[in-house]
Amino acid sequence: MQKKPLIRAVGISKRFGATQALSDVSFEFYDSEIFSMVGANGAGKSTFIKILCGFYPDYEGQIYINDKLVKFESPRDAYEAGIQVVHQSIEQGIVQNMSVAENLALEQIVSPEASFVYDEKKIEESAIKIAKKMGIEYLDMKANIQDIKQSEKQMITIARALAKKPKLLILDEPTSSISEKEAEVLFETLYKLKDEGVSILYISHYLHEIKKISDRVGVIRDGKFGGLLYQPLVVSKIVQAMVGDIETSISSNSEDSKDKKLIIELKDLLVEGSQTPINLKIYSSQIIGLIGLIGAGKTELAETLFGIRKPLGGEIILNGKSIVLQNIHEAIKNGIHMVPENRTVNAIIPQESIKDNIILPFLDFFSKRGVLKPDQEIEGADRMIENMGIKCENYLSSIGSLSGGNQQKVVVARWLLMSHNIVILDEPFQGVDIKSRKDINVYLRENTRDSCVLMISSDVDELMDVCDKIVVLNKGKILGEEKTSLINKDKLLSLITQE
Amino acid sequence: MEKFVAFAIKYGFLIVMAGSFLAFGLLEHSFWSWSNLFSILLGVTIVGILAIGVTFTLIIDGFDLSIGSTAAICVMASSYVMVVLDLNYIFAILISILCGVLIGLINGLLIVKAKIPDLLATLGMMFLIQGLQLIPSAGMSIGTGMMLANGTEAKGEFAQQFLYLGQGRLFNLIPIPVIVFAVLAIIAYFILQYTKWGRILYAIGGNEKAVKLAGVNVERYKIAAYVISGTIASIGGILLAARIGRGDVTSGSGLLLDAVAGALIGFAVLGVKKPNALGSVVGVVFMGMLLNGLTMLSLPYYTQDFIKGIVLVAALIFTFGLSKSDLSS
Repeated sequence: MQKKPLIRAVGISKRFGATQALSDVSFEFYDSEIFSMVGANGAGKSTFIKILCGFYPDYEGQIYINDKLVKFESPRDAYEAGIQVVHQSIEQGIVQNMSVAENLALEQIVSPEASFVYDEKKIEESAIKIAKKMGIEYLDMKANIQDIKQSEKQMITIARALAKKPKLLILDEPTSSISEKEAEVLFETLYKLKDEGVSILYISHYLHEIKKISDRVGVIRDGKFGGLLYQPLVVSKIVQAMVGDIETSISSNSEDSKDKKLIIELKDLLVEGSQTPINLKIYSSQIIGLIGLIGAGKTELAETLFGIRKPLGGEIILNGKSIVLQNIHEAIKNGIHMVPENRTVNAIIPQESIKDNIILPFLDFFSKRGVLKPDQEIEGADRMIENMGIKCENYLSSIGSLSGGNQQKVVVARWLLMSHNIVILDEPFQGVDIKSRKDINVYLRENTRDSCVLMISSDVDELMDVCDKIVVLNKGKILGEEKTSLINKDKLLSLITQE
Repeated sequence: MEKFVAFAIKYGFLIVMAGSFLAFGLLEHSFWSWSNLFSILLGVTIVGILAIGVTFTLIIDGFDLSIGSTAAICVMASSYVMVVLDLNYIFAILISILCGVLIGLINGLLIVKAKIPDLLATLGMMFLIQGLQLIPSAGMSIGTGMMLANGTEAKGEFAQQFLYLGQGRLFNLIPIPVIVFAVLAIIAYFILQYTKWGRILYAIGGNEKAVKLAGVNVERYKIAAYVISGTIASIGGILLAARIGRGDVTSGSGLLLDAVAGALIGFAVLGVKKPNALGSVVGVVFMGMLLNGLTMLSLPYYTQDFIKGIVLVAALIFTFGLSKSDLSS
């Protein structure tokens, strides 16, 4: 028997000025299914979702719910129709100065029917009820939202979306800032919801997640319908549908480290919050991956190398000389560059141009007695834009107007612009599409000759793509290192998760 | 339609400005006379100078509410140095500038080191300075030949060279304060537009954390922005003292709001949507011109603040309201 679709989006098109963001895209969503949507950054996924949620009332095409034509004029309309969305940015979904309970029961607090007198006990009761949907009733309801973990905030936003029994639940990159374990909890919840009849639209860059949880996968490519894929899903097929044919693996640098120069050595380096000294050697032209769960001490290590934190003991030896870093400025002077995690918070200056964003750390180099040298700035920015394939009108476009993947390319370009000894990339592929990821990796591979790269991630596949060697960090301790070509993934995962 | 809006955002303000310049002149020919045009400029000089100062703090996403009272205390300080202490006018200038630097430094330290929000810190300083300026002269205005607390007459007087700064004219036409204003404006424009310091100040306003992670000593730049603001305000105060030729205790009132309004109107100039030196100057000049023209057309004096408010709100709509509403970000 043919099931009837719950929601049909037919021939959706949308244009922003001269850009055709979507053209003639149609998808159907059924009850009790997890439908994943994939596409490179800028392919039009977010535009499509925003139309479904009523953010853009002026689209072409039709949306039907249970065969009835609907037209959403505002996000409120979509909400009333049973479409709930959990946005990628967690900060958008929570209210900073409120407690956990208040955040959970937010709809109730702001609803027009709310009683005039604020009943703390009642709020807390319903908050617990909502929390149970996501299995997070263990949270301290009275705690301030700022004091809980990022992943718990994410769970709260999802729990709240579930409170209203949505027909269609849209999750935009829900796992981008939570750990794998927490993601498992989320998936269990999604399966349960699916069994209850909810239709789930899942957006993620993590293809292994998509492969695992989806019933069907819809592809958007360059604003157009890019095909539907059914179980059993194969990651390489999904990638192909998303971006067309690209090489799937970057030739890893397999030569031995004999004829190479030792660039940086960590000798019994004791990082804040850890009891175990770290020893690590990185040679020229090497790309080393550092993997560990959230809380393994990866970021602390990176920040110590970049002069943000002081080591509690041990040495950093750079080109044979022991160095002591008082601040970031000194780290940069020593040719230690770092692409920090979470570009929105730590890296991009949204209103400023691509050029100004790239040049930022090296203004001294691009100026004479304080006066900038525009020709050289433009030359530098253009070189990086071209080499890294940053998609933009020109170097004057503001970085805020770019897609996530291209923003990340700019941020990486900032730290690759000038010669360096080592560049540290902390979670460089958060919210970055697979095509941009590949571009960045290819660039790193081709341009790492006399320097080296330390790439930090909690995603094995990301690292295996490009790294020569992967080092496992667990609770501040290096548990093992292995050449990528020899890696046994099961063993690696067990090291990462070892209690 | 979109093109029109983009055009309106970029050039709308300047077109309105040029239009009113034409309209006033056609309705009242003396509006276009050199003497009137320079009197418009002279009228906005002090406010304009303060607006340049506050632009620096707005750029780093801060605010300096104490500029008006900084200028006022410099009026009192320079008068006190010359009239009561009977010292050379050079000391009057140096001590006033020192006041400005110190106030800026304290503001900066309160905000950066004591982590007090900018509005609150500078509001506190504003009060403090307003009170402090009254103390040396026991609450009285300072003028040549005033009676001192001990019953004697003040010996000093305003030096001619000092008064020239406020009242003199180059070639018998261009007022000296206007020249100072222009020079400051050009320097500020150059620094903000063409140097790394300007670039870093704007970047701090955009994302402080990112600038810090680019190896910049952000705290030093933020303090510098307040020191610049205070110093520029003190120059405004010196010119004001020189113009009125006495230490008037009420001289600082109204300066702050007019300067801030000018800087905010400046966001709309050329649609840059950012604090900028050119915009701040154009903003205050526009307000001065409008009030001058309307007064010539017999607009009553008491409606001036109302007009300024309308201009400010309209400019803010230009800047923020007409640009693409961005629910997505």
